[in-house]
Amino acid sequence: MTAIVQVRDLARDYSMGSGAVHALRGVSFDVNQGEWVAIVGPSGCGKSTLLNLIGAVDTPDSGALTIASQRIDRMSDGDATAFRLRQIGFVFQRFYLMPALSAAENVELPMAEARLPREERRARVRELLGYVGLAERAHHRPSQLSGGEQQRVAIARALANRPALLLADEPTGELDAATGLEMIELFRRLNRDGTTIVVVTHDAQMADAAGRRIQMRDGAIISGGLA
Amino acid sequence: MKHLWARAILGALLCAGNLGAQVIDSAPTRPAVVRTIALDARLALDEGLKLGDTVRISALPNDALAERVVVSALLSRRADPSEIARQEYRARVHLDQLQRLISYGDRVDRFAVRSSGDSARASLLAVINNAAFGFRAWPSADIAVRTSRTFQVVRRFNRAIGVITIVASAAFLLCILLLKIDERRRDVAALRMMGISASTIVRSVVLEAGIIALLGSIAGVVFGVIVARLVNWYFQGVHRTTLAFTLVTPETVVFACLLSVLLGIVAGWFAARRLVRVPALTLLGR
Repeated sequence: MTAIVQVRDLARDYSMGSGAVHALRGVSFDVNQGEWVAIVGPSGCGKSTLLNLIGAVDTPDSGALTIASQRIDRMSDGDATAFRLRQIGFVFQRFYLMPALSAAENVELPMAEARLPREERRARVRELLGYVGLAERAHHRPSQLSGGEQQRVAIARALANRPALLLADEPTGELDAATGLEMIELFRRLNRDGTTIVVVTHDAQMADAAGRRIQMRDGAIISGGLA
Repeated sequence: MKHLWARAILGALLCAGNLGAQVIDSAPTRPAVVRTIALDARLALDEGLKLGDTVRISALPNDALAERVVVSALLSRRADPSEIARQEYRARVHLDQLQRLISYGDRVDRFAVRSSGDSARASLLAVINNAAFGFRAWPSADIAVRTSRTFQVVRRFNRAIGVITIVASAAFLLCILLLKIDERRRDVAALRMMGISASTIVRSVVLEAGIIALLGSIAGVVFGVIVARLVNWYFQGVHRTTLAFTLVTPETVVFACLLSVLLGIVAGWFAARRLVRVPALTLLGR
């Protein structure tokens, strides 16, 4: 199996007043292509910090981080932004859809930034919204969609540029139980169709659905990482 | 001079009350020898007079010797800011009648002469100034400049108010945009995390701010035109004049729109640049 994500001895500290908080203490693990990994653990254990580092929105203090064969731990902000656009898909707990844009326009946004031709963008939007079951809601604005529908649009948006890796931070956190189950089913289908997923979650059902679980505590992996 | 219409400028020259103007016959028939009078259109309206009516003019009320004259013209007051507030009525009578009315003898304080061109005017001014010691003749344009000095001051005052308003509005617009964009810090953070570049975000914010500013200025112009018309309608009615009290000129509209769009773009750029320099995770509060 090819490792899409290679994390080696990753450490991240935050300064808090006169002291420092060790958010991550030498974390190492791999995520193979087509794998679905759930990172779980109590609040403050470093899950989201780890996800932000994998997503190239934060930089580690030490260690090495390779995504899709590219070292991202020392990337400049501009390079990291371009990398995220093409290689990483983000799904947020609170969706963060642009309220003035329709569902289709929200999905089209990353493709427009990547300068894909208009026809290709439109075709891809139809394909993605059809995939997440929202073909009929393409021209609705986020305020006209339910929470579950908004999260589906956010997932379609995250997949727009065919990223190597889909990162999700508490994707069921804002959804009711039934909608959460629908979301888990969508993630399952995505993974079955070849999408590599890393999800940070407190949702036990989401974690159970993932192929592998990485358990964290106090900034370290206590199970599911490299031996 | 007897054949000239003398412009009766009695300061409060000829008040209808003082003249004792009175309608005695509204039939349009004229006697064989009849003198005429031109009345202020407002007086005619207030007293129910019309062309062809015969009135008596006298310096005293109920004067048995009052002269009968026929209303031959109605004078509309000029749309002149220096005249609209004057409440007295005006009338034009023949010079000899005026002399009799005011017992002023063969004297005038002021008179106006219409010339046929620039050269005629210059020579006429010279003739009058040389011939009549104590008289001073002025071209009407010079008199207009002298009498409009007050309005020049008022105009500068209005312009100063306008500049202060625009500067205050610019500061207000900037603050509003900073606040509105700051409200969207999480959206901006999400966009940055999705890989949308800082320059794209700045461009879109600037474009949005520019469009909002343009739409706002258009709405402001429409509102301004409506208010200007209401103000003109009200005060033209009060002062019975065609004078435009407020003007929205094409230059004003272009200036307002350009300035507004420019301010919107600058404010949008400033606010967006300020936001995209903050790390995405900080914007998300992490």
